[in-house]
Amino acid sequence: MKVLKDRYLHSEIRDAYLFLLPMLLFAVVFILLPVLGTFFTSLFREVTFLPSRFSGLDNYLRLTTDRHFWQSVRFTLLFVGVSVAAELVLGLILALILNESIPGRGFVRVAVLIPWAIPIAVSARMWEMIFNFDYGVVNFVVLQLGLADAPLNWLGSATGAFGAIVISDVWKTTPFMTIILLAGLAAIPQDLYKQAMVDGTTFIQRFFYITLPLLQPVLVVALLFRTIDAVRIFDLIYVLTGGGPGGGTTSLSLYAFKYYTSCDFGYGSAISLIVFLIAGLLAVFYVRFTGLREAVK
Amino acid sequence: MGRRYLDRVPRQTRIDAFGALHHITASERRLIFGMKSTTLYLLVMLAVLLTGCADHEKKITFWIGGAPQEVDYWEALVDEFERTSGITVDLIRQPSSTDQRKQGLVISLEAEQPDPDVFLMDIVWLQQFFQSGWLQPLDPFFRPDGFSIAPFFKDVVDTVDRYAGHYYALPVFLDIGLLYYRKDLLKKYDYSGPPRTWGDLLQQASKIQAGERSDNPGFNGFLWQGAQYEGLVCTFLEFTASYGGGIMQDGHVRLNRGANTVALEFMQDLIRKYGISPPNTYTDMREEEVRRAFQRGDALFERNWLYAWNLHQKDGSAVKGKIGMTALPHFEEGPSVAALGGWHIGISRHSDMPAKAWELVRFILSSVSQKKLVLNLGWYPGRSDVYTDPDVLKKMPYAGLLREIFSRAVTRPNLPYYDQVSDVIQRTVNGCLAGKQPPAAALHRMQSEIDQIAEIYSR
Repeated sequence: MKVLKDRYLHSEIRDAYLFLLPMLLFAVVFILLPVLGTFFTSLFREVTFLPSRFSGLDNYLRLTTDRHFWQSVRFTLLFVGVSVAAELVLGLILALILNESIPGRGFVRVAVLIPWAIPIAVSARMWEMIFNFDYGVVNFVVLQLGLADAPLNWLGSATGAFGAIVISDVWKTTPFMTIILLAGLAAIPQDLYKQAMVDGTTFIQRFFYITLPLLQPVLVVALLFRTIDAVRIFDLIYVLTGGGPGGGTTSLSLYAFKYYTSCDFGYGSAISLIVFLIAGLLAVFYVRFTGLREAVK
Repeated sequence: MGRRYLDRVPRQTRIDAFGALHHITASERRLIFGMKSTTLYLLVMLAVLLTGCADHEKKITFWIGGAPQEVDYWEALVDEFERTSGITVDLIRQPSSTDQRKQGLVISLEAEQPDPDVFLMDIVWLQQFFQSGWLQPLDPFFRPDGFSIAPFFKDVVDTVDRYAGHYYALPVFLDIGLLYYRKDLLKKYDYSGPPRTWGDLLQQASKIQAGERSDNPGFNGFLWQGAQYEGLVCTFLEFTASYGGGIMQDGHVRLNRGANTVALEFMQDLIRKYGISPPNTYTDMREEEVRRAFQRGDALFERNWLYAWNLHQKDGSAVKGKIGMTALPHFEEGPSVAALGGWHIGISRHSDMPAKAWELVRFILSSVSQKKLVLNLGWYPGRSDVYTDPDVLKKMPYAGLLREIFSRAVTRPNLPYYDQVSDVIQRTVNGCLAGKQPPAAALHRMQSEIDQIAEIYSR
């Protein structure tokens, strides 16, 4: 009997691997190999106009003394922190509102998704026009309200450009947060709320003792997605500010890209790998320290 | 039932993988519809592969810029070439942004693709492309063909197109920085002509700006390119070299010079001390922003490239017929200098039919085609003999002046790692104009950063 059971389990496991094989192959070919390839390239002096040769960790040593690289690291991390936090708060508020049975809920749920459906390059162009020095609507409003005497150069100062990038990104990706959290909210049994109401709890108590703990796994997944996405921010900045002014809004991906186009593939790869490492470390952090692993189990 | 209906329609069109329309007959359709879908799929893939191969065996691929009027010019020229030579050319339109054009080329050339065979390059890429081994030497084609490079501007081809004794590219059209001025305003304030020195410019601009601002508060004395982008390297080069300084000395970048400090201080003062250039010079002012402001009638002087002339003289321009152009002013201590720009043509080392590609290059560089370039497009050819052509002189009264300026224009550093050098200059000069750093410190910092870059890329 035991032998039969063992044999059965064994074949089960074998079949499981068999069924997983296509996905594993996919992961190896499209995820593992490119990362390894990038790492490999970063160990070489791979500049189109110089003979290629193995240079060990030279490219990484160069990173340590590159002022512009550290500036990009600071900018990228600051951007991730500010924009993901804003998206989380706004997304949660929107999700809570849309979870209530308000009139026209179906319509509002669809309307909220619109920014998410617009391609990033298009929305970046749109925001560029909104912040434009000469004809932008922001300057128009500011001047009409008498908040300033002359048009303000929003994208021309480091703080202004940073603010513009965060606003555009929050506008674009809050819907993503909202929809995921909305799904999480829908999965919380209504009985719990009814019971809590019978016990005479306030709305605030119900939010902190029921909603937030039960929403946590979904919340962490949404945060994980958004954080990793924000670390590799490229297209929005490429279109909106081009990394300026004075290189003040150059994200790490944009900085790596600059070296790819100026034909230094080795150094560009080293920077790309740092982006990968930062995203990876943040992912590990989320999984380990937020109870996501327990929740999945 | 569907099939019977289709049979009655004698011809239908289908679209192939390359977007071309083809007619297919009823019998072909019966063949196609009668097949199993897998067979059909395999056949289609095979057809795509075969067409793909066949295509680049027969055609030369030529990559051009994407500006609308530029595309029109190339289409007409290539049509004529196809008719006279019997060689088919695939004209591929690249984006109009210089950076994006470079990205496209770098990807194909680094991957050793047989296409493009022929392409246009910005003057500052040439050294990098040559060092990367992406270009074919062109002189082996010269002699059997009776082609001569004598008519081309010698200084230009010898400084940027020639490496290790061979020509790897040739100029299709040139560009230089010029001073545009308002004839009507100079006359109104009793000036006999445009400024020759920066001192003259300062004096004229201060007086006229003060006078004009009572009617037009947005009026500025002098507009130039100061935003953080490639154009700033050109203006920086022009200011410094017109004091006897510059970027390069004896083949090395030497920025830390007294002449450069004075010139950079003057650039800063134009905005911050004299106020004849507006504060958004260092945030917004690129070619087009400068051109549009001048064209609205909001400035007395403008530093811009050649292309601005035709646009200023168009109907609807507020300055039509009121402007002149001349060489850029200089300090007492140095000569008048114009930064050289423009696009050069070359053949890929990986081209699968260099001989046919050369035929196309030769056709594009012929004096007939180059004359069309200036007459139809208003762009200035790399051949100097076109500038003495009577038709050209009639339409372009400034051709003589330009020819003279071209022959003493200065080039930006001709280095394979120019991108990095340019990036440092852009950032630091822009920061200096914004008042973040005094000129001497900015030059010192640029020098040390560029020395580091030079060391990294010459080890």
